[in-house]
Amino acid sequence: MSNLSRRTLLKNTAGLAAASAVIGTPLIAQDRTLKIGSYGGYFENSFKEHVYPAFTEATGIAVESVTQPNSSDWLVTMQQATAAGSVPADLSLYARDTMIKASRLGGMLAKLDMSAIPAAEGLDSYFVFEDGTGPIGVGAMSWFTAMVINPDEVGPPASWAEFWDSEKYEASLGISKLYNSHFLDIVAATFFEGEATFATDEGIIALIEKAAELKPNVALWWSAESQMEQSMKNADVIGGLYYLDVSNLMAADGFPIQAVFPKEGNPQDYGSWCLSALSDKGAEAAEFINFSSDPAIQALMSRKIGTAPLLEQSKTDLTDEEFAFVSGTPSIKPAYEAYLDKETFMKEAWDKMLAGA
Amino acid sequence: MSHSESLTLPAAPPSPAFNPARLLPALLTALILLLCVTPFLLVIAIAFGQKIEGAGWEWAFTFANFQRFFVGAGWPEDVTYLYLQRLWYSLYYAVIASLLAVLTAFPFTLCLTRLSRRAQSRWLVFILASLSLSEVFVVMGWDVLFSNRSGLPMVFRETGLTDWLKANGLFDLLREWGLASPRNVKFKTSAFATVMCMAYLVWPYAVILLYPALSRLDQSQIEAARTMGATPRQVLTTVILPAVRLPLTGAVLLLFVFLLGTYVAVTVFAEPAKQTTAISVYESVRGSTLNAPFGAAQAVILLVTAATFLGLGQLLMLRGRP
Repeated sequence: MSNLSRRTLLKNTAGLAAASAVIGTPLIAQDRTLKIGSYGGYFENSFKEHVYPAFTEATGIAVESVTQPNSSDWLVTMQQATAAGSVPADLSLYARDTMIKASRLGGMLAKLDMSAIPAAEGLDSYFVFEDGTGPIGVGAMSWFTAMVINPDEVGPPASWAEFWDSEKYEASLGISKLYNSHFLDIVAATFFEGEATFATDEGIIALIEKAAELKPNVALWWSAESQMEQSMKNADVIGGLYYLDVSNLMAADGFPIQAVFPKEGNPQDYGSWCLSALSDKGAEAAEFINFSSDPAIQALMSRKIGTAPLLEQSKTDLTDEEFAFVSGTPSIKPAYEAYLDKETFMKEAWDKMLAGA
Repeated sequence: MSHSESLTLPAAPPSPAFNPARLLPALLTALILLLCVTPFLLVIAIAFGQKIEGAGWEWAFTFANFQRFFVGAGWPEDVTYLYLQRLWYSLYYAVIASLLAVLTAFPFTLCLTRLSRRAQSRWLVFILASLSLSEVFVVMGWDVLFSNRSGLPMVFRETGLTDWLKANGLFDLLREWGLASPRNVKFKTSAFATVMCMAYLVWPYAVILLYPALSRLDQSQIEAARTMGATPRQVLTTVILPAVRLPLTGAVLLLFVFLLGTYVAVTVFAEPAKQTTAISVYESVRGSTLNAPFGAAQAVILLVTAATFLGLGQLLMLRGRP
């Protein structure tokens, strides 16, 4: 109820702002700002350095960068902030599962005005997410979780199945500890029927049992990205699952890491721009989303940040080499809905497997 | 806060009908209650909430979260003691690390009290200062110490110790214990690394807790015992230890409760099979499942466990009192 009245209030203030815009246009135009959340560290810095200045130059809208930890933790923060009536960011980056979750929670995300985002039509339609209320998320960029190895220690495997070979990988791999880090999608694609295996509880159990066979080969079940980064650099592990873009950057810096696309491929996830329901910057946000959907900007992000573009390579001016740096084939599409609908069951079964309980 | 408020009180004009000096303690109590007890009550209330699959949670009154802790979410078709196992590891690490810290801090502190005043205060300042290191930095330090390229494993490799172990067959034993990969020894992830780091974390507290008691030890009793021909060992077991038994037990208990909630060290150094309730709480609340009620239920159970152990410790100490 308080949210409702607050929203009405916001609408009225927005109306007032619009009215004053007519009277004092130059002053207001200079004041257009937008608070955008992105994953902190290198990622956010790249956005601040390469993307936001270009956007401000093109539109006159100043961007204030907000650090978000990752999308699922950010969802908790935003949920609490929304309940409290004031949010730290207008636009946030959410992974697809978090976005679906936010839409199920309700009252957190505003509908996007797609007529103000014509460039989104150029994206693969998979990347514009609509729930019951309308479009609420437009893809920002995508990223691959990839198979990585230490090329000084082993050669690139042709299949994920080779990681199960204890002769070669005993106590040597770093795999994500989270049940929904898409490792199960890899198991499904490598040993089962892919996404369809997630349809039944028995299928999920079979996936987890197959993953359990890998346990003797895993030296590190990482929960934070930095753990895996350090372990690869220190040679505590000689292979595993890690982000493609970061791996390639590390390799470019001379660290012993090589990203591999085995025959089953690597899982592809993507982030969406979502507008907070409490934000009164809908127009500015639409301009930014439109800007980031532009093929030139998608290519810019691929070059400068290492994310995969959300459209075909031919629509961008990326060279084959540049494209291979950020993307690859085939890609494994995660079973998002199963992860959400069978959340408790999957998490507990996975944790049980890890704990040997 | 109460201190500064009471200092400013005399400046206020006294009123015969309404004495603010009387109201102040009541107000402060109310404020403290509000700030301390409200979050506490909220956690307990949330523990009875209900999880909505694929979304968040809602207020409710269900014991399902507590039930899940003991038998798992799939009960009765499927039973798991996963969360009890985590509670067990919480206790396991906390007991060993607190004992280790107190047992090593005891001789150190005993020696410390024999030093000159000047040296004692220098040591104490140093130990107090080291408390300001956050858990994150301490863990980072130990992480480097245990890393393959820069820490102990490198020392093992470079000094030829690894090759020696391999030649003598001891290496395979280490591999069985999970303390080696086919290439070199490895100390992470292991219970060993976890306990070492946790003991290190609380070691300064152990010294500070033991220092007052040990520095008040009656030297004349020790000297009398020595004069009467007691060996140093006899002095330790018959004079010193009985005198400081209570502070020793108290220190172990306090550090134990403190260590129950250790988060960073366990995340980094313990393998998933040996992680604790604190990690599980964090994963429920902040992780991808948004299951605050289950997280709160686990936190409440951890709290009850800590309280039980403190109560038992208290009983033990009271019974042991002459």
